[in-house]
Amino acid sequence: MLDYAVTVLTFAGLYGLMALGLNIAWGMAGMVNLGLVGFFAVGAYTSAILTVKVGAPLIAGALAALAVGAASGVVVALITGRLRDDYLAIVTLGLAEVIRIAASNEIWLTNGTDGISGLPGPWRGQVSPQTFNLIYLALTLAVIAVVLSLLQNVSRSPYGRVLRAIRDDPQVAAVAGKRVMRFKVEAFAVSAGILGLAGALYGHYTSYVAPDVFVPLLTLNVVLALVLGGLGSNYGALLGALVIVAFQESARFIGIAGLSAVQVAAVREFAIAVGLIAVLRYRPQGLVPERPPRLAAAPAAGRETRLDVAASGPGR
Amino acid sequence: MTNGNRIGRRTVLRGAAAAALAAALPLPRRAWAAGEPITLGVLTPLTGAGGNDGPRMAAAIKAVTAEVNAAGGVLGRDVRLIVEDGQTNPDAAVRAAHKLIDVDKVPVIMGTWASAVTTAVAPVCWESKVFLTTVSGADSITLLPHQGYLIRTQPNNKLQASSHAVFIAGIGMKRVYVMSIQAPFAVPTQTRLATVLREHGSQEVGALIYDGSKTTYRSEVDEAMRAKPDLVYLNGYAPDVSVILKNLYEAGYAGAKFTQSYVMTPKVLASLPHEVTQGTYVVQPSPAVDSKAYALTAERLHLEHPDTYVCQATDWISLVTLAMQKAGATTGTAVRDHVRDISNDVSATHVHSAVEGLALLKQGKAIKYDGASGPCVFDPRGDIVSCQFRYDRIEDGAYRFIKIM
Repeated sequence: MLDYAVTVLTFAGLYGLMALGLNIAWGMAGMVNLGLVGFFAVGAYTSAILTVKVGAPLIAGALAALAVGAASGVVVALITGRLRDDYLAIVTLGLAEVIRIAASNEIWLTNGTDGISGLPGPWRGQVSPQTFNLIYLALTLAVIAVVLSLLQNVSRSPYGRVLRAIRDDPQVAAVAGKRVMRFKVEAFAVSAGILGLAGALYGHYTSYVAPDVFVPLLTLNVVLALVLGGLGSNYGALLGALVIVAFQESARFIGIAGLSAVQVAAVREFAIAVGLIAVLRYRPQGLVPERPPRLAAAPAAGRETRLDVAASGPGR
Repeated sequence: MTNGNRIGRRTVLRGAAAAALAAALPLPRRAWAAGEPITLGVLTPLTGAGGNDGPRMAAAIKAVTAEVNAAGGVLGRDVRLIVEDGQTNPDAAVRAAHKLIDVDKVPVIMGTWASAVTTAVAPVCWESKVFLTTVSGADSITLLPHQGYLIRTQPNNKLQASSHAVFIAGIGMKRVYVMSIQAPFAVPTQTRLATVLREHGSQEVGALIYDGSKTTYRSEVDEAMRAKPDLVYLNGYAPDVSVILKNLYEAGYAGAKFTQSYVMTPKVLASLPHEVTQGTYVVQPSPAVDSKAYALTAERLHLEHPDTYVCQATDWISLVTLAMQKAGATTGTAVRDHVRDISNDVSATHVHSAVEGLALLKQGKAIKYDGASGPCVFDPRGDIVSCQFRYDRIEDGAYRFIKIM
């Protein structure tokens, strides 16, 4: 049981890392990124190719995933820089599919739909699976701690304030002399870099990457985690991911009297959908609402804007 | 996805629920099936693309388990099943496998369906010394470093393509063109077809791989026509092959076509004009329809024609329980080490169900389990060594049986 809990926590951590990555682009800078699974895939494949095909050490693979993820984020941000809200959401959603289809077809590079298996993990095979899981959980938590402290610093700094200003009204930010495009590109690159790193961690944990892993469902799970936790809040992102994964997994233990396993599976999917609708309807600010550093401005006005942004979530 | 699909699924749900209920009904239990039950894992897809097959497979496993328990269990212990949903998704299936292994402590997991799911779940299994049985067909699966902790009852691509090529050459087709969807089976199938066709005096005059989401395949069809084939081998799924068949007809192609039964389902056949499907050969891995195990499966599940997936699931639970009885132990390693003792020794007494085999094993006799899906003889990599295939031809919108070989 303990070992299973460690596994679930590791997955929750990886989802949380993705939610953190999504949060800086969407929560802070207001750029909806429904293509997050694409950057996640870029990172996973970068590290898989480097470690399995080239034989690079794991740490090099992970750093390369971060770099390549961020670089692809720059490219995408430059292309989509003028798009906002729904338009950006659709373009990024399509982009993730393009990446998945490219991974299916560029067999020379990605092994096609067979995927790349046998990714190395730290001490995998040398220690018991239980110990490996513990090591990986520790590694995941360490990465989260570093990313979280970094993002919290960004959030509190003048830089974070500019991002929020751009999110709330890019024109006003531009009038105030901020180079909006440059901030957006940077925020998107950081976001994509974190997603790429999460992809590498995911690949080395499960030891397998294939196009089938990077389906839009994963994006939806992470978007749901962030919306549930609180758009704009880093702690909310982590909490949301934990709740989502815990909910999905605990559904396994809830036998509903009179229902077969097939029906329970259907009820689980249904409950997740209802959950998302309920959160957007009754608690759009999420479990841990964003709390921007207190300024002289009236708090009521700030709160109103928050609700506005949260309500423009994936449901709109 | 389609409305029709949903109706099929509802029927399946009903069937699965009925089977589950049947399994739960109080059956007469012998007094000696006491002691801690043996817990086995079932990880079939209950939702997602495999949601059509998974529930039926789980129901087949449950039915055999109920029979085994009623006959006194394995090593004097009852068999208990824990069913998890693989969701046809590697991400979810890996967590489900962890749950089965870490919480329920199962020594065996039966049922992964999609190749990507199997490839993701297999390392979790072999690292924990858990035995895995699967229907995934991709050749790469048994090439994983699974240390013997994996068997599959589905013919791999090589076995399938070999049989197909022998059949195609046998009906006198000399020039074969292969059109494959981008999937793990595309390249291995094309390569194997080319080899075996050549050995039998025919030739693969060309091959291409296409993207499955296109709305028309005119350019691909033109390319195929340029090679002047007398048979076009369509290795895809129902949506894309339906379009290609229409495109071939529009392009005036009058030769033969060849595809799998999961493509040319009765529903697809009914939806296409007769002229379009005319002369299409349809193949499927055939369950051992003349075997006693097949008849028993049909009777057990109250089905007229159990399909290959139901038969394979029946064989897994039978093989696993027999291997455990033979080994005198219930670990995954014991199953790995002894599964071939009860499946590969063709000189031993042939048995056709778990119950029949368990009774003989308890008397200390050697057995060979003859499966409902086929002979169930496994090579060292975990692949079956032979399988029968059934060939039909479409004439005037109806299947006409040709042969099983």
